[in-house]
Order: sequence, then structure tokens, then C-alpha cells
Amino acid sequence: MSKPRKDYEELKSVRFRRFIQGEREISTEVSMEEFQRQMDKEHEEDERLTYNYLNRPNVEMDPQADAKRFAEITGMKRFHKVYVFMAFVLCICIIGLLIYNVAYMPNYGSADAPTNNEVSEKYLEDGQADTGVVNMVTGMILQYRAFDTFGETHVLFIATCAVMILLFLKGKDEENAPHDPELDPEPDMILQTVARFLVPLVMIFGIYILLNGHLSPGGGFSGGAVMGAGLILYNAAFGFTKTGRFFNEKVYDILKVGSLALYAMIITYCLFTGANDIASIVPLGKVGAILSSGLILPINILVGVEVACTMYAFYALFRKGGF
Amino acid sequence: MEIFRFILAALLIAGGLFVAIVACKGMFKFRFVLNRMHAAALCDTLSIMLVLMGLVVACGFNLVSLKLFLIIVFLWFASPVSSHLLALLEVTINEHLHEQCDMTEAKRLCKEKQVDLSEVKKDLAEEEKEAANGK
Repeated sequence: MSKPRKDYEELKSVRFRRFIQGEREISTEVSMEEFQRQMDKEHEEDERLTYNYLNRPNVEMDPQADAKRFAEITGMKRFHKVYVFMAFVLCICIIGLLIYNVAYMPNYGSADAPTNNEVSEKYLEDGQADTGVVNMVTGMILQYRAFDTFGETHVLFIATCAVMILLFLKGKDEENAPHDPELDPEPDMILQTVARFLVPLVMIFGIYILLNGHLSPGGGFSGGAVMGAGLILYNAAFGFTKTGRFFNEKVYDILKVGSLALYAMIITYCLFTGANDIASIVPLGKVGAILSSGLILPINILVGVEVACTMYAFYALFRKGGF
Repeated sequence: MEIFRFILAALLIAGGLFVAIVACKGMFKFRFVLNRMHAAALCDTLSIMLVLMGLVVACGFNLVSLKLFLIIVFLWFASPVSSHLLALLEVTINEHLHEQCDMTEAKRLCKEKQVDLSEVKKDLAEEEKEAANGK
């Protein structure tokens, strides 16, 4: 090795970069025998620990002693009772506060109650003219309270992210490789035959609910759930290899992040036009037509995609730890 | 005419409810999973079909009855298959199945297809031994 190169390789930044990239520097000074000896030592240590664990004294733990040890470890020795007492007091306080608040609620069916005042009347009377929907529920959740629904969609996104952090297995080493086709259960012929017939029907039904959200009961959440169920059925019948041909991790990422980002853009546009009293460029269209009610239809589709991805992701992550 | 339709619908719905009650009773009366599953599957298919047919007759032939009919078709496809898969799981994981039910038919089928159950068991035991030795 030439001298400049050696100097270069001993630079701290180079070493640091190698460390980051995960390249381990193999020192040539350690001979093979020493290495073997070290490995043996580690192995012996492992065996000793395992032996100790397997032959551990099988004594029933005294609960008092156990509590004492717990207190020693956590440092809750002195104030243990205080903590319990304070937790109890806090619970009672919260319960009392909630009950106290309930007392301020209007009586059931009273004329002053918010459920009976002009807000709901306004929704029902002007809703069709404002949003152009037939199904007022969709108009409520996707137009008047669009921001709230946006938050709900975020909840779905964050929930899948959390499950992914806990359960996602990246297939780098063989032990953690998520996919072993031999371990997949043998596909059941009856299930496959039925799935071949049912999956298209279920998917079509889901898309129907999705697209008819502004005309009839349904919408993004329910339609997306049906579509997710169809995906899960297909996966259960035909396995991960076949599902991976059209729905793998890449497609999932694009759909999931893309739909949420598009939704955010639409919401931003709606908020901007609404706050500045500008008319939206998207026409409301004829009430009752499939292509009507402005931005509700695209929002419904995006929410549906998000929900379907969430359902399938939960199933895939819990079953295999990947897509 | 209207009264006949009403009576037919009522009879169908009453029959469906009767089957449902029998299925509920069976679900709690039987002791073993497969028997109970049989009762539950009965409720899922026959009773729901009878009730929905009663509703179809009651509301006449229009879009709603078409939807009800589609629900029947869907349930008749989905419910037996799910019962089948559950039963398959039970047969796969239950070690004491031969104590609970009569396996002569299954054994005869195995003989016809020349599957030797004892050999399968031996293979499994050997595999377990190998796994234990490996660890």
C-alpha cells in the first residue's frame, strides 16, 4: 500500500465514514488462533449463562421481598405509598372534573341544546347548496369539518407507522428475513376457488361505495375498509408472492404517502379559498350526478386509498412483518 | 294476493328464526369445537337465507330485493369457506382430536389415498429430535 493511501485511510473522517457505513476494520495483527480463542471464550460464557439460567433456583418469589427488590431497583423505596396515594387522588380528581362538567351539559332534548339549535338546521338546509352532496354526512365530514377528517387520516398514517416501527422486519440477515415461501401455509384449494370469484366482487363493491360517497351512505372510510378486506382475502388465498406482484412495499409507500400529501394539498387549497372568501375553481356540478360536489369526490378517493392501505398493512405486518 | 305474500314472508322469517334458535342452542350444548362449529355454520347459512328470502318476498321485486339476494349469495359463498378454514385449523392444531370424535372415516380416506398417518408422525418426531440436537 502506498504511503499517501495509508495516510488517507488513517484519517479520522475516513474511519468515521467507514464506521457509519458499517464496514468493520479487520485488524491484521490479531492472528487467527487468537480470534478462535476469543470466540471459544465467548461461547463458554454463553453456555455458562444458559446453564445458570436453566438451573436457576426454582423458589417461589415472596411477594413482599419482590416488592422490596422492585423498590430498590427503581428507587421508589421511600415514596412508594405516596405514589400510590397520589395516583389514586389524581384519578378521583379527573373523574370528579368530568362528572362536574357533565352537570353543565344541557338536558336531553332541551331546546337550547347545541344539537337542536341553528347549526344543524343550517347544515341540513344549506348543505346541498353549499357542498352539492346528496348524502349530508359526507358533506359534513369532508366539507364543513374537513380539517377534522384530515386529522383522522393522519391518525391512520401514524398508527401504521408505529406498527411498522415495532413489527417491520428488514430482510438483511437470514434470521430476520421476512419472507420464507416454505413457511407459508399450504394454499387451500377451496379458499382459492372462492377467492377467485369473491375478490373481484368485493373490490368492485368497495369502489362503488367509495365513488358513491356523496350520493348514498358510504364514502372513503367504509369503501376503503371493504377494499382492504378484499386485498386481505386475496393475500390469504394466494400468498405474499402473488400479492407482491401488484401490491408490494414500493406501491404501498407511494399510495400511502402520495394520497396523504395530495389530501393535504387539497385541504390547504380549501382553507385558503375559504379564509379569503375566494370562489373555488372546482365547480359543484349538478346535484346527484356522479361527477359533482367539487372536491369531495377526490378527497373520498384519497381517504379510501389511505384506509385500504392501512388495513392491508396491519394484516401483512402482523402476519409476516413485511409486505 | 297481498295476504298470501304476507303469510309466505312471515313463514319464511319464522322458519329462519327457528333455525337460528336451534343453532344457538346447539352452540352451547355441544362440547367440542367441531360440533359447535357445525351449529354455528347452520345459523350463518340457512337461517340468514330464510330470513332474507322472507324480506325479499315481503318487499317485492325491486332494487332492494336484488341487493338482499346478492347478500344471500355472498354469505353462501363466504360463510361455509370460513367455517371450513376454522375447522382445518382445529384439525391441524388439536392433538386430542381422536378422543373427541370418530376418526374412522378419516383413516379410511387416508388408506385410500395411501397416506400413512403413523409415518407422518414418525417423520415429525425425527424432525423434532434433530431440531433438539441442533440446539
